[in-house]
Amino acid sequence: MRRCTECAVDIEGSWTQCPLCTAPVAGEAIASPLPDVPLEFSRRRVLRVLFLTSIAVILASYVAQLLFSRGLAGIGVLRSVWLGVITMWLVVVMAVRKRRNVAKGTVYLVVLVGLVCVYWDYLTGWRAWSLTYAVPIVCACSVIALLITVRVMRIEVGEHIIYSGLTLLLGLAPIGFLAFGWVTNPLPSSICGALGCTLVLMRLARGPDLRHELAKRLHL
Amino acid sequence: MTRRAWVRLDNASNIFLAARTDADPKVFRISAEVDHVIDPQLLQEALDATYDRYRLYHAVLRSGVFWYYLQESDLRPLVTAEELHTCAPIYQADRRRLLFRVMHHRQRIILELFHALSDGTGALWFIADMVTAYIRLRHAGQNPPFPDIGEAIDPEADRGRVDAGTLPDDDAALPAHGLIADSFTHYFRRRRRHLRSVSESAFSRAAAPVLTGDDDVRSSPSRPWEIGWMRRRSSKKVYRVRGTRTPDNRTRAVELTMPVKEVLALARAEGVGLTIYLTALFFESIRTSSGDLGKHRSLAASVPVNLRQFFPSTSPRNFFATIRVEHRYGEGADDLGSVCRQLDSQFRPKATPEALERKLRKFIRFERMPVLRIVPRPLKDVILKLVNWSSNRGLSIAVSNLGRVSLPEPADSHVGRMLFHVSAARPQLCAISHAGLLTISFTSPFIETGHIKEFARLLTASGIEVTVAAARVTEAELAEGKR
Repeated sequence: MRRCTECAVDIEGSWTQCPLCTAPVAGEAIASPLPDVPLEFSRRRVLRVLFLTSIAVILASYVAQLLFSRGLAGIGVLRSVWLGVITMWLVVVMAVRKRRNVAKGTVYLVVLVGLVCVYWDYLTGWRAWSLTYAVPIVCACSVIALLITVRVMRIEVGEHIIYSGLTLLLGLAPIGFLAFGWVTNPLPSSICGALGCTLVLMRLARGPDLRHELAKRLHL
Repeated sequence: MTRRAWVRLDNASNIFLAARTDADPKVFRISAEVDHVIDPQLLQEALDATYDRYRLYHAVLRSGVFWYYLQESDLRPLVTAEELHTCAPIYQADRRRLLFRVMHHRQRIILELFHALSDGTGALWFIADMVTAYIRLRHAGQNPPFPDIGEAIDPEADRGRVDAGTLPDDDAALPAHGLIADSFTHYFRRRRRHLRSVSESAFSRAAAPVLTGDDDVRSSPSRPWEIGWMRRRSSKKVYRVRGTRTPDNRTRAVELTMPVKEVLALARAEGVGLTIYLTALFFESIRTSSGDLGKHRSLAASVPVNLRQFFPSTSPRNFFATIRVEHRYGEGADDLGSVCRQLDSQFRPKATPEALERKLRKFIRFERMPVLRIVPRPLKDVILKLVNWSSNRGLSIAVSNLGRVSLPEPADSHVGRMLFHVSAARPQLCAISHAGLLTISFTSPFIETGHIKEFARLLTASGIEVTVAAARVTEAELAEGKR
């Protein structure tokens, strides 16, 4: 074993300097009980910075739209492309962040895409295309997509029940659009609402599971 | 649907979630060194057998609206070679992963845990059982078969284990969620039936005081003299060690190995226990290495106390309280003996079952306040972060002593020294002894080793043979190791 005469200690491992006082050491080296682990730099900090900058750019882009004139004439090709790129970026950022929980990611997707569509509709002079077509179609598709995904990926019921429940509730929102007369064509909302109601009834058969999961999440 | 068992994470463990940082992921490690190079296959078998018997270790951590909770999982742990630095982060939000890992390197079997899952004593039970199973597998055929593994006992927990065996309704004491065999719950609830808050989780009450530091004493009307002391204390700042962070935020770990008898003799000569002796020695090395402290002349240490020695328990979950001791240099005698006695006189009255129980009760009342219960979890995290930050400001170092470990045969004779590391937000000392060898591991977020040098020199000056093992953390050290 090596020895540091300054500290009067024996040293395990192949240190040429004393790890305590950096004085040169003498003697035969023996194997260290602790491995040499190469330095590693976590990507977490980089990802965090990327995420925050992305969110800032996206928000700024949306807010900047308010500086321009509203209406179909004012929006133009350039701003449409700008909005499209920004929205795509938002969806990608969200999908990457929530990649570990598909059901949760779907809820985020429905909410974000819905809000963006409504905002975009507002920017183009509010023709109610978002509430009539975009939102009901997104809701209905996500409900069906989630049904398929949890089957195919064999996600445990306990893992997704809260979020698939939330997606379903969002699927019921178009019924409200119909009731308040916010739509110009009742068909998409009706289909989405009917789909939502059927699935909610089916889901109610799973009441105890849902209650168990809620009790866990909301435990006081 | 498979309804998974779950149990709420108490506030005491929540602090580990709130307080974890890149440099201090709140992970600790216990390793055991055996007399041969580890056979990974056998270790995996031993781990599988032990894992099946510790249901708490099956848990993954998830977050609810108001609390984190532990939920049972189907995951199986895999033994790996040691490829990570000591106390590398384990828990990552949103990832369903087990909260511990088992590794091996040469002769060492290594268990690392996220502190929210269990404390040192709890982890010691697990590794003791695993090592015993491993040694039995390794020496199968050479020894008569043993009736059952699981007799591995930490000396401090002896009473707890015995109690678990004799409680007739041990199974009935399982909590409703069934995740944790908490016979302690039963025991403690009976003991303290006169208390108002006996309704739910006695564990959370019991495990609570880890958070408190001394806060509760401050408001304790039964000890008015301490109120004055606390006020005085808050007005004077303690010395806090500063240094250069390691390049990738890994924990700097240096292990000192020495014969336990001789160090115990030194402690006895001063008339104090080993933990207090080591604390005083640590104070002295910090003072010397810092060039006599400077403006803030107080040093304060937090010393965790295993509550199982006062309130017998077989619960492997967090169950400890921390006691704060301090010494102000430049006011009266500052030699090692005087510091020892002064620290001992602070420590003793706080480490009695009565004082600790008062502490528990106060803290539990705080934890169970309805207003606090309905605070959403992210906000609770912020509050706990602040609590932790303010209590950190009053601490210079931490000292954690797991005591003497004895393993059942045949493991005991095949295991040499054992080691204990804790990821650290400030310089920390962790001690454990086995097979006549005391290992003192220094962990720190800083690369400086000045205080360890002083500590080792103080010991060698008293005629103690010290062996040093250190992990390489800086680029220069790693480059030197490759040569």
